[in-house]
Amino acid sequence: MTELKYVKAIKDGDFRGLPISRASTAVNMTGSWKFFRPHLVSKNSPCREACPLQIPIAAYLGRLAEGKPSAALALLREFNPMPAVTGRVCPNFCQNACNRMEFDEAVSVGELERYLGDLGLEQAPDPVTVNRTEKIAIIGAGPAGLSAATFLARRGFKITLFEQAPAAGGLLRYAIPAYRLPRAILNREIDNLLKSYQIDLKCECRIGPDETSQLATEYSRIIWAPGLQSSRLPAAWPRLPLIKGALEVLSAISRGADINGQRFLVVGGGNAALDTARSLRRLGKEVEIIYRRTLAEMPAYAAEIKQALAEGLVIHTEEVIENVKPLTTGLQLFIHKSRKINEQIGAGEFLRTATADCLIAAIGQESDLRFNEHNNFITAGDFAHGAASVAEALASGRRAAETVLQQLGILPVPENITPDLKSKSRIEYKQLQLDYYAKKPAVKMAELDSLSRKENFSEIHQTLSSEQMQIEIERCFHCGSCTACGICWFFCPDVAIALDREESDLESRVLFDYDHCKGCGQCAAICPRGVIEMEEDN
Amino acid sequence: MQKQAILLGSDAIANGVKLCRPAVISAYPITPQTHIIETLSEMVDRGELESQYIKVESEMSAIAAVLGSVSAGSRSFTASSSQGLAMMHEVLHWFAGARLPLVLVNANRALGAPWNIWSDQSDSFSQRDTGWLQIYCETSQEALDTIIIAYKASEQLMLPIMVMIDGFILSHTMERLLIPDQQLVDDYLPAYQAPYRLDPDDPLTFGAAAQPDLFYELKKTFSETMSEAPTVLKNCEADFRQAFARAYSPVMRCPEGDEKSDTAIICCGAMTGTARVAVADLNKRGLSTDLLKIRLLRPFPKDELCAVCRDKKRIIVLNRACSYGVGGTLSQEVRAALYHLEQRPLVNDVMISLGGKEVFPETIAAVIENREELSSVDCNWLK
Ligand SMILES: Cc1cc2nc3c(=O)[nH]c(=O)nc-3n(C[C@H](O)[C@H](O)[C@H](O)COP(=O)(O)OP(=O)(O)OC[C@H]3O[C@@H](n4cnc5c(N)ncnc54)[C@H](O)[C@@H]3O)c2cc1C
Ligand code: SF4
Ligand code: SF4
Ligand code: SF4
Repeated sequence: MTELKYVKAIKDGDFRGLPISRASTAVNMTGSWKFFRPHLVSKNSPCREACPLQIPIAAYLGRLAEGKPSAALALLREFNPMPAVTGRVCPNFCQNACNRMEFDEAVSVGELERYLGDLGLEQAPDPVTVNRTEKIAIIGAGPAGLSAATFLARRGFKITLFEQAPAAGGLLRYAIPAYRLPRAILNREIDNLLKSYQIDLKCECRIGPDETSQLATEYSRIIWAPGLQSSRLPAAWPRLPLIKGALEVLSAISRGADINGQRFLVVGGGNAALDTARSLRRLGKEVEIIYRRTLAEMPAYAAEIKQALAEGLVIHTEEVIENVKPLTTGLQLFIHKSRKINEQIGAGEFLRTATADCLIAAIGQESDLRFNEHNNFITAGDFAHGAASVAEALASGRRAAETVLQQLGILPVPENITPDLKSKSRIEYKQLQLDYYAKKPAVKMAELDSLSRKENFSEIHQTLSSEQMQIEIERCFHCGSCTACGICWFFCPDVAIALDREESDLESRVLFDYDHCKGCGQCAAICPRGVIEMEEDN
Repeated sequence: MQKQAILLGSDAIANGVKLCRPAVISAYPITPQTHIIETLSEMVDRGELESQYIKVESEMSAIAAVLGSVSAGSRSFTASSSQGLAMMHEVLHWFAGARLPLVLVNANRALGAPWNIWSDQSDSFSQRDTGWLQIYCETSQEALDTIIIAYKASEQLMLPIMVMIDGFILSHTMERLLIPDQQLVDDYLPAYQAPYRLDPDDPLTFGAAAQPDLFYELKKTFSETMSEAPTVLKNCEADFRQAFARAYSPVMRCPEGDEKSDTAIICCGAMTGTARVAVADLNKRGLSTDLLKIRLLRPFPKDELCAVCRDKKRIIVLNRACSYGVGGTLSQEVRAALYHLEQRPLVNDVMISLGGKEVFPETIAAVIENREELSSVDCNWLK
């Protein structure tokens, strides 16, 4: 047989004559050809900018997508001390700004936050050590007070929380109904905070303005976060025992007290009105709502209105109660058509009378604290900025903590715990490269049907399963945040990109080999999240 | 064991590929693709074939994807046709130059313009100079068998092989054939052991810049390996015959022809089947004609061809591809090979079909009957 010289040589591992070499081409510094160089620049995702807590949603969801739920939770907690709570009750400011809305439907950020929050119930935050001598007092253990306590404890402070109620939580405990926020969840989340941060909670301890000077002797700083504890009543109504404020009723329901009467009328269009009406119905009462404007103008969260209507709640719109008269049992109500006079609502023509065992006003809250001297004390939460939301209260608590740190000279003045989002630009939908995404509807939490839920306080929604979470997490574009997805690595024609998936600094996860990058810009064009920018190479 | 089946040509080929256990298959699924890769994708989907199936966005990417997978040491497969093969052109050169083994099946179809989807060999003939081995098959059975042989030869030579079938004529017709047992194929074709591959633990540089002298040296070696290819292929074909009892060789004499005749028809691909019918009839009628089929186009088997044409006076080459300005592409190859014979036969260059123009036994018979009228200088187009 012919001697097959070259075939034999290959078989013997002799690469001579083949275009293969053991020499490296790394010596060819092709990078010297470039005029532009890529670099990583994180951007603000619109969801983050919309979130009162400025949670780096793109980044923590990135960790979750990478299969690192504990790391995701840790990052989420850096910004949000109560994710199991906000994951349930936050109106999701983030989702309303989500870039994915332009693609198909917003990412269910709230659901994902709740998923991690629930995970956190079983994984308390890492404990801190108290290493500062200054003591801080916080009045009010609502979300604002708890948040301020958390952020200060993380800096080594010993915190004393004064709370007038028998337990911490504020409106979370004494207003928001259990079918939206089960108490077991709330208790667990608060207990974790109190334990990990060694917060000294003093319940049934009401602090009035008069005690301030006394506290000042023991505590370096005092933060006031007492919320707004009283419901306002319309000025036109007489003051009668059967006319109550929504907070009073909700608080009684939360504490499991008996609620007398059968027929209730609730006045108002906000969350308090809906929560009161829906809670009373769950206790077997007959309840109707009277609201002075239209359904579309109701300030309550849209999802809540939808759920209430599904449960069969009757809402009379564009009506006002002009007068109330006591009867031997119950009340007589004079209902008028509402009338708009220069944006103000007044009573128009008389419509009908009605009777009720109890009339509840849910038209706003006010503080029961009266301060005489307004010497610069630090405030937080609803008390500071007016009735708002849990997320805003938590953010405000963080700002109060910041103020304390700055006043004590621990945090240099321009520095903040709250991130300075202004230093980075927002990433718009058009800047994303979405060829790698397919349209997919958002995953929603399973919901108890309206019939089986309307008679009890069982939680309406179920936290996503890990399978559902997995599907939903893949919908997030992680706008402006490198996820180390490796797409740039794959496309770089010069093998000039290396990835460090373990790197937590998002701007250091992609390493450019500038000795070999030719500056073609393919990486910048292909990055789905728009974090690679080209700059002139000098 | 081999089991009988009646299969579409494309499916027969898919079965042949499956028996060779490619670790990676990449293809672009749109026209002018055949259902070879469709059938393979279904096999992968059903879990009958353990293979990474990479669907890409163009033929250029399909060939580039397998360039990567073969570099990494995986036996791979791709298939294409006409414009698709033309689009692969750049990477075809690179594949061979990089000395990587692959089997690619091409269903021969016309290249536009004008638009035409039928059988025509111009697509692969115009890839003759890319450094690939090219084998043309007459039947689906031959194609199935050739794939198995080609993987073996390709991996021994570290050169890619293109296996051709006639588009529609083979790809879209049913044929009764034998499908070998997996065990039989496994015994014949061992798993691919790449002598060199992309491996971060043993880094090698592939195809980096070569200075002129080195480039020249490398291409010389390439050419020398190519000249060893017919021997390697023949050995693989001989082993195949032993194991599977079907014989193939680079140039094949068809038994329908008259070996002693001084006139021979040369063709390649499925047209040989039609020629067999025509020639059998011609011989019956006393118009003695021999019939030779070219299986291997690259490297061109000139020794084998010279051996069977030594005593011929006239060779009539039936072409299905044209090199415009010269004539039938196959005729050029035949002429160049036979130039070395002391007694050179006359070569008639006949353009018998392009773009699927139907070839009947009578079409071929008419060429032979009127052979004295054929020009031996210019290309003969049908009237
Ligand atoms: C019915 C209802 C439903 C709501 N639903 C939602 C919702 O779904 N989503 C959402 O984001 N927001 C919702 N909100 C708003 C949200 O609950 C509040 O914005 C938030 O709780 C404010 O937090 P805070 O800490 O400022 O005040 P609070 O939650 O009111 O907490 C203040 C705490 O201070 C204590 N305190 C008060 N005075 C004293 C004192 N003198 N001494 C000691 N302790 C004192 C109180 O007992 C209380 O525990 C709802 C509000 C209501 C009323
Ligand atoms: S896609 Fe993700 S990162 Fe982008 S805005 Fe929506 S939730 Fe935020
Ligand atoms: S393509 Fe992926 S890995 Fe590369 S910069 Fe963008 S997000 Fe990071
Ligand atoms: S793709 Fe690679 S070569 Fe091109 S600019 Fe980016 S890093 Fe440089």
